[in-house]
Amino acid sequence: MSAQRGIGLLLITPLGLVLLVAFVLPVLLMLPTSFRPYTAGGPAATGWTLDNYTQIVTDPYFHEVLGRTFTMGAVVTLLCLLAGYPLALVLARAQPATQRWLTLLVVFPLLLNLVVRSFGWIALLANHGLVNNALIAAHLIAAPLRLMYNLTGLVIGLVHILLPFMVLVLVAALRAVPRDAEAAAGTLGAGPLKTFFLVTLPLTGPGMFAGSVLVFVLSISALVTPRLLGGPAYKVMATVIYDEFLASLDWPSGAALAFVLTLIALIIVAAAGLLTRRWTAAP
Amino acid sequence: MAELVLRGLSKCFGEVTAVAGVDLTVASGEFVSLLGPSGCGKTTVLRMLAGLVEPTAGAVLIDGEDVTRLPSHRRRLGLVFQSYALFPHLSVFDNVAFGLRRQGVRGAALTERTMAALALVRLGQLAERLPRQLSGGQQQRVALARAVAPAPRLLLLDEPLSNLDALLRDEMQIELKRLQRELRITSIFVTHDQAEALSLADRVCVLREGRVQQVGTPEEIYHRPASGFVAAFIGRSNRLPATVEAADGAGAVLRLADGTRLATAARGLAAGATVAAIIRHHAVRPAAAGLAGTVALRSFAGAQVQLVVRLAGGGELVAQCATGTPGAALAAGDAVQLAIEPADVFVAPDSGTA
Repeated sequence: MSAQRGIGLLLITPLGLVLLVAFVLPVLLMLPTSFRPYTAGGPAATGWTLDNYTQIVTDPYFHEVLGRTFTMGAVVTLLCLLAGYPLALVLARAQPATQRWLTLLVVFPLLLNLVVRSFGWIALLANHGLVNNALIAAHLIAAPLRLMYNLTGLVIGLVHILLPFMVLVLVAALRAVPRDAEAAAGTLGAGPLKTFFLVTLPLTGPGMFAGSVLVFVLSISALVTPRLLGGPAYKVMATVIYDEFLASLDWPSGAALAFVLTLIALIIVAAAGLLTRRWTAAP
Repeated sequence: MAELVLRGLSKCFGEVTAVAGVDLTVASGEFVSLLGPSGCGKTTVLRMLAGLVEPTAGAVLIDGEDVTRLPSHRRRLGLVFQSYALFPHLSVFDNVAFGLRRQGVRGAALTERTMAALALVRLGQLAERLPRQLSGGQQQRVALARAVAPAPRLLLLDEPLSNLDALLRDEMQIELKRLQRELRITSIFVTHDQAEALSLADRVCVLREGRVQQVGTPEEIYHRPASGFVAAFIGRSNRLPATVEAADGAGAVLRLADGTRLATAARGLAAGATVAAIIRHHAVRPAAAGLAGTVALRSFAGAQVQLVVRLAGGGELVAQCATGTPGAALAAGDAVQLAIEPADVFVAPDSGTA
């Protein structure tokens, strides 16, 4: 038993070291920075302050950005769930040959570069983009719809990018639903719809939850898509952090914001894990 | 409490014929077992009855009503799965109440009927538990209660005991039989275990490669198997390759590979045909005269002693003697003569599969 554990420890050591050196250490090095006062010109300041954190709590600008980020995350998650569930259902129940093709189609967008996909959406959603031009040509609208530089644009782009994650998680959850349980519901007098809502949907609950947490955390921390589709004015947490570091060179503020975002993501993931364990464990 | 009729029921999966024209009538309140080796189509028959598999041809009638094309949720029957198939997210109570709720039963009547079904399987005290908190045997009893709670017209059981360990299985067999008697519910029980089929059912339907081999009471199936296949499948048997030397209206004489002759009561054999003689272990008895051989192995199994006898002309026969009979006192190395009644020699075509 202990020998087995020793081997297990040995096996995860290489990846553990890489993560420690390349991920955890740099993050921890940023921690002191987030408590430094901001001095124009660079990160070489001395002394300690809580200002970088208090401004996030007190400044209405950050309230707006935080609210916007979480609204965006919630809407993206909900839409991914609504669009992804039927797709996952078809995929999980298809014949094996069809299933292979459908899986490939679902995963295919992941093979394309994020920037390329976001630019694709700009071509579609811009004021003189494909969508607006088509709608104007069809005389359905007089002036272009604002599809970019606002919540709509961000949500469209992120749903497209994050949908495969949701679908893959849901497919796994649906495959784990015992078909016999569904057949049993049928023989007990439940029609296909009742069977779905009383058996299939509740049994995929943990999967829906896991997929939602994944999509939510990925969407509130997404940078490239919000940057391209949100433009310079419509900002979320990730783009604000990026600008603090690279445009304003205000490293302390950027670091503080980054830690707040990380903390929120960690709390969500931890709470999700706790809830899932409570659901699945026998009391 | 319904009569069930299967008429020429068939199912093909692509090129493969799983069930080929099964005819069967089950009387109201009767307990019939579908028995056969794996792949004989018994589960497919059951799933067609339940409406989970659509038949290629034929009809299923419940009380004269043709339900062949009716979806399973409109057939009003109970199905117990080999895997139990309980709803893992619902409590025992809600599992059992599921079918009643679909019938619109609510309130006090729902509680009363659900608890009554749980009382039938003696699990009333576990109503609040979740399925995963129960043992395998308890889960199977919940599955049984869930199937019978809505008072279905038919109870279908798909190898419900095969996932239980031996002791529990015996206990559940008795429970199942008692429940079926109490509710007088028409039941179809699918199994590959002949002992289970014989001890539980009023009648046994033996299937092979999608066809009915024989339908009869357990006694008929055991004592008067309609074919060599049934004889070989039911009970434990010796199987000896032989040729038919002579045949007439009263039986035939078989010639075994070593040249010894064996009389059989089997009729309708053609002289010269290559066959297999099927002889049950307990039908082989040490006697004053008969096939000569030596005891090669003796194994004691409580009420029975099993002897493996090497015949003088080559070949082996297994004989089973009740403890206390002279045969049981034989030891390895002893010379013995074996007598076999012609009525106990069944003949199967030498297809190798039986």
